[in-house]
Amino acid sequence: MPEDRIYEDLTVVRRRANAVFWIFAVLTFLALSYYWKVQILEHRKYLAMAEANRTRSRVLDAPRGLIRDRDKNILADNTAAFKVSLVRESVKDEAASYSAISALLGIDEPTLRGRVALHKDLQPFEPIVIADGLTADGVAPIESRRLELPELLVESEPQRIYRGGTLAAHILGYLQEQTAEEIRAHPERPTRPGELVGKSGIEQVYDGVLKGQDGQSIEVVDSLGRIQDEHARQYPVQGDDVILTIDSKLQAEAEKSLEGREGVIVALDPKTGEVLALASSPTYDPNRFITRFTPTEWTDLISDPASPLENRAIRGLYAPGSIFKLVMSAAGLTFGYVTPATTVYCTGSTQIYGAIRHCWYAPGHGAMNLSDAIKNSCNIYFYSLGRRMGIDQIHLAASRLGLGRKTGIDLVGEKEGLVPSSDWKEAALKEPWFPGETISVAIGQGQLQVTPLQIAVMTARIAARGIPVRPRLVSNFPPAGSDAPAPPPDTLFKTSTFEQIIAGMWRSVNDGGTGAGARVDGFDVCGKTGSTQTMSRESAERLARAGRVIKTHSWFSGFAPRDDPRIVVTVLVEFGGGGGATAAPVAERIFALWKERMAPR
Amino acid sequence: MIMLDRRLIEEIDWVLIALILLQSLVGVIFIYSSSHFLPGAHHVRQLVWIGISLLALFVVLAVDYKFFVALSGYLYGLIVALLAVTLVFARFVAGTKSWISLGLMQMQPSEMAKIVLILVCARLFAEYKRDYLTTTYTLGALLVAGVPFLLIVAQPDLGTAMTFVAIIGGSFILAGLRKKTLILLVLASLVLGVGGWNVVLKDYQKKRVTTLINPAGDPRGSGYQVIQSKIAIGSGGLTGKGFKKGTQSQLRFLPARHTDFVFSVIGEETGFLGVFIVIALYFALLARMFLSVSKARDRAGVYIIFTATLLIAFQFLVNILMIIGLLPVVGITLPFLSYGGSSLLASYIACGLVLNVKMRRFANV
Repeated sequence: MPEDRIYEDLTVVRRRANAVFWIFAVLTFLALSYYWKVQILEHRKYLAMAEANRTRSRVLDAPRGLIRDRDKNILADNTAAFKVSLVRESVKDEAASYSAISALLGIDEPTLRGRVALHKDLQPFEPIVIADGLTADGVAPIESRRLELPELLVESEPQRIYRGGTLAAHILGYLQEQTAEEIRAHPERPTRPGELVGKSGIEQVYDGVLKGQDGQSIEVVDSLGRIQDEHARQYPVQGDDVILTIDSKLQAEAEKSLEGREGVIVALDPKTGEVLALASSPTYDPNRFITRFTPTEWTDLISDPASPLENRAIRGLYAPGSIFKLVMSAAGLTFGYVTPATTVYCTGSTQIYGAIRHCWYAPGHGAMNLSDAIKNSCNIYFYSLGRRMGIDQIHLAASRLGLGRKTGIDLVGEKEGLVPSSDWKEAALKEPWFPGETISVAIGQGQLQVTPLQIAVMTARIAARGIPVRPRLVSNFPPAGSDAPAPPPDTLFKTSTFEQIIAGMWRSVNDGGTGAGARVDGFDVCGKTGSTQTMSRESAERLARAGRVIKTHSWFSGFAPRDDPRIVVTVLVEFGGGGGATAAPVAERIFALWKERMAPR
Repeated sequence: MIMLDRRLIEEIDWVLIALILLQSLVGVIFIYSSSHFLPGAHHVRQLVWIGISLLALFVVLAVDYKFFVALSGYLYGLIVALLAVTLVFARFVAGTKSWISLGLMQMQPSEMAKIVLILVCARLFAEYKRDYLTTTYTLGALLVAGVPFLLIVAQPDLGTAMTFVAIIGGSFILAGLRKKTLILLVLASLVLGVGGWNVVLKDYQKKRVTTLINPAGDPRGSGYQVIQSKIAIGSGGLTGKGFKKGTQSQLRFLPARHTDFVFSVIGEETGFLGVFIVIALYFALLARMFLSVSKARDRAGVYIIFTATLLIAFQFLVNILMIIGLLPVVGITLPFLSYGGSSLLASYIACGLVLNVKMRRFANV
């Protein structure tokens, strides 16, 4: 070429430049191939990732069904509240984020970290609730810092509120957070972590009915988690209402009567088994711990020696004391050891198997037939009966009247109690039964253990002249929660047997007997008192000599009216003293109130 | 000297200018798509910058490149001073590191430093007529390039600093690298690399490199950008999601959408077809620039065309490989397509130099 002579020779540098160009061309081709791989061959994978990026499924909490009393008044309601959750996936700088959140929400950092650690099994994109029960004002400062803290998620949720505070707390139960361990333990239950579920009472037993069906919202969100659009929404379905058999007025009166004491009041309808009131004292306010956290109230309640969380009506075990004389009477008449006319002479004490046994009335009651013995709660009469009958017939009669067996109320955790027998002693203690022990059982002491609810159900059986009932708290759903079988129909006792016992119970209240304190004019209350020793007679006497006042547990169980029984009331006051003095007047208030409540109906 | 006679104008490579403009307008379209929901009308500003840059390109064409090469020593002194001032000045204005304010506009002197380095290299190697590079000459050239390089690393603007490696490396290749020199350079860069890793690199920069190896290790930090960008590109498929319909860009999952990651937006919204067209356009553009090497009348011209082209090719390759996760995220813009005045101006001026050399191939010496 002609230029070559004019210009310098650049062939070498040009060749090198060309080589670099070809390297560039090859690299460009390789880059394009890689784009082909990502865009064409792996398209589906990345498309799915893009979709997952922009859509978020959010659970819409279903409001729980309401719990109402028998007049449809609301006992457990819902209110609107806010919860704040942390999405770990969105946390950029853990230390800075936690300290900012801790300052913003007023949660100390170790608590916050502990909270997150509790849910460490969750996927990083699943929100962990770190504060709940907040008001709109409470979440305003969080909403205003939305951009700085994209890891926080504020949502509204329906929150449980118990309108009556402590009212019927043991019946309603309470809610607590479902933990990951509990979910693993019950894979059949459709629950999700962080969900509040019923942990006791009706909330627990009817959780499946009350919880409803959570909804779901598929939302389109931007990179900060702000909702841009909604794809689909499945609305939550509120749980069904549960209607209780409880009468709030009666329940409130029962709770008021027990204020400051430890004890139980059970009221039920003897024909249907519907529980009208069930009070256990001391009690608690379930509103105080409807939160996913463990407030100090909760730890205080658990460690309280008076165990306010325990429902004493179904879980408290007591000796029935003189109430058991009703069982003895039924057994004596049924097995033919006594007739209504048989009399026993009470001198105030008697000698049995070489030991001196006392009647509670030291001067002695004199000649007593069955009705007198029930009216006066005469120990001597029943010692004599027990000695002749033996433990196994007592066991049979008591069992047939429902003692030593769960009543089948729709609550979880009911206790069975214990009615001793010779077989039981052989099996449990590897010892033969001593006849002397029968004498203690005959007046309701010894190894006998009953729950107040069992006594109420037994009283209902007597009131209904033998027809067994199963106690229930819920009227609009079939009974649930108890594994106890329905009470079998029983042919052991004759109707007349119950009439003869009822005659004594009527006189106890209306004819100057031990139950006189429960008398209500024009309501024909029939009942039986009981005062149970809480320790052996010897230690009681020793303490009495030392000047200590030892109070017995105080019982009353009865029904009214005599001919058309409408209500059974059982009262137990722990360390209340004599049944006639303490428990009977409490029962009187319940009877009187029910008489008044029944009137306009 | 500033004469532009008709003969010269006829020699201007209008096809190349058309390709540059076409590419720039494609950029404007996707800058609009990815920033229309932001305040600031970025697409309008970019159009204004294209106008300014085009003007600058013609100004560059008007002056014989030999004059620029002759001036390169002064320009070098000026840019080093400017970079030093920027660095000191930045200490007083928190947050701004690589920007200096010119009244209404802001400028990145580091972008201009690339152009100066191209001219300096052309001058250094214009009279170098040996077949291979000597060690002393290599060290001298490294020293000259090293001063602005370190000043830019100190800002820290790793992306721009890396383009210096392309320019100086390209010059070395042209000058001829012997095995001995090559080994020496590799060793030196290893020493510098290890030292730089431990002393110079900030934690966030180290993280970017480790992220490349394992992007899932830090899905919300440095890895986040790469993962989101790859999702955007991959989800585009063959034909894309449509203009302004890319979920990754419109919902802001994609970082730096209208700047460094604008090509991800193209990948998501126009799919592989769009990617293919833009890469093909780029290839046509760069091939035309590379092949202009044969049109240069002297050694300085060859160096100018080659290093200027290599500068743009390097940024193009690094950017498209970085956004798909094959290179660490170093903050290198995609020439002509990414939003940003300084980078656009530098790219146009670089092309202007190429055109300048090409149109003056018949000029008398």
